[in-house]
Amino acid sequence: MEDQILALTAEVAAIKGAAEVTNRMFAEAYYYVTIPLMVLIHAGFLLYEMGATRLQNVLSSGVKNLLAFAFTIAAWYLFGWWFYWALPTWPLDFSAGAGYMEISGLEYANAISWAWGDSAQYMGPNMGDNASGVFWGAFALFAATTASIASGALIERIQTVGFVICAVVLGTAAWGIAAAWGWHADGWLVTKFGYHDFGAAGLVHAVAGFFALGVLINLGPRVGKFNADGSANHLAGHNMPLTVTGLMLIIVGFFGFLMACIILPGEGWSWYGDRATTIYGTPMTLSALAFNVPLAAAGGIIGAWVMTRDPFWMMSGCLAGIISVASGLDVYFGSTVIAVSMLAGIILKPCADWLEGLGIDDAVGCVTVHGTIGLFGLIMLGILGSGLPGLGAFAPEDTVALSLFGQIVGAVVMFLLGFVPGYVVSWIVDKAGMLRIPDAVQERGLDAVKVPAQAYPQGMASPESES
Amino acid sequence: MGYFAESFAELYNADGWMDMGMYIGAGSSAAGWWTVIAAVMLVGVLVKGNSDEQDHYK
Repeated sequence: MEDQILALTAEVAAIKGAAEVTNRMFAEAYYYVTIPLMVLIHAGFLLYEMGATRLQNVLSSGVKNLLAFAFTIAAWYLFGWWFYWALPTWPLDFSAGAGYMEISGLEYANAISWAWGDSAQYMGPNMGDNASGVFWGAFALFAATTASIASGALIERIQTVGFVICAVVLGTAAWGIAAAWGWHADGWLVTKFGYHDFGAAGLVHAVAGFFALGVLINLGPRVGKFNADGSANHLAGHNMPLTVTGLMLIIVGFFGFLMACIILPGEGWSWYGDRATTIYGTPMTLSALAFNVPLAAAGGIIGAWVMTRDPFWMMSGCLAGIISVASGLDVYFGSTVIAVSMLAGIILKPCADWLEGLGIDDAVGCVTVHGTIGLFGLIMLGILGSGLPGLGAFAPEDTVALSLFGQIVGAVVMFLLGFVPGYVVSWIVDKAGMLRIPDAVQERGLDAVKVPAQAYPQGMASPESES
Repeated sequence: MGYFAESFAELYNADGWMDMGMYIGAGSSAAGWWTVIAAVMLVGVLVKGNSDEQDHYK
């Protein structure tokens, strides 16, 4: 009998060990897959921007877009990751101490996120660590996505290196701090204001959109965009099909982006042993995304079609639809998603026109799609979702629930976290003579001046092929 | 520099995988030096890139 018990105990231990290995490998593979899916966002941005660019500037836009991706990822490795772990409690705790969950603060960040000293073991291949790399990779793509969002607004007149500097600040400091405050269980916006932003409508989209606005104010419009009387000209991109297809690819990538916003169960870093959650530890399933993301995309397309009949704005409406409900994709009912996202699609073009009327040349509607609609989404969740517990189990007793007030505070913070650094950094870059491409070069065409390649060397007349 | 282990047998026989870096230069100051080199290269590329770009606009 005793032998049988011992044998059974050994067998149970073996099964448990195998289950742990399976869970660990599944979790690692799950987050790993989100990374190439998010690369599709960048494939989409590349097509989208190049399509929205006039023929003489196509490759220049592509170079700018690729460099934003590359430099942001490298900078995220060198110092961006540190912002996320170091600053959740700052500046409420000015010394940036650890929060209640003890996975934040200067000491914690210094121990895991620098690529030198003892923490370097978590910033490269590690024998016993299947999590740090895949989490870092997913966050690096979040950072690159945030930086690339602003890119489209600035095409055809921003200098390449000046733009890269702006993109690095946006993708590391601005987004890293926004995520620390509003997308971390110890973040003060979460614990003190009940801020809820599951799919990053505020901390990615609004931050990026209003960062772009700050840059646009210093950058000025493209040559020929506005007439002397202030009226605007439509500067059509050279390839609408490329743009629309790019936007659809961004939507594909969004599924990976949102998938990476879920915390899987059963690991040392999980909230629960047997339940998936949001980053806040509140209940979440992939099925919630499967319902709500397609519905939001559909609602946004339909809403924009009602107002514009234009495929560019319909696909922008698709993005806007998803962004409008991104904060609450974990808790919205499907029909609510249709209504809110359709409303986002309807208000999109009038908001973009209003901005253009102020003399802002946002080449792709970035400020409106990501900034305005991002804030709209945060506020809508505050109106519709008040009372949602701010954190899951293990949270401190004084954790605040979601409220309209908390979402408004979050919206203001996200606006400032985008706009202020965008304006300040681009102002400095401008003073260094690295922001705006001279008007004469814009008129000649950027590709002919600074790209040693041709976009369409055969069968299509273009300024650079003729030069 | 070089790799930190001469044989994987001892590591495989250890009581579970260890929580330690398994990259070239692990356990030494190499990671920090590579980080400095990479950072200097990135900044240098930006400086050179900006210099070339300004030349294009002249």
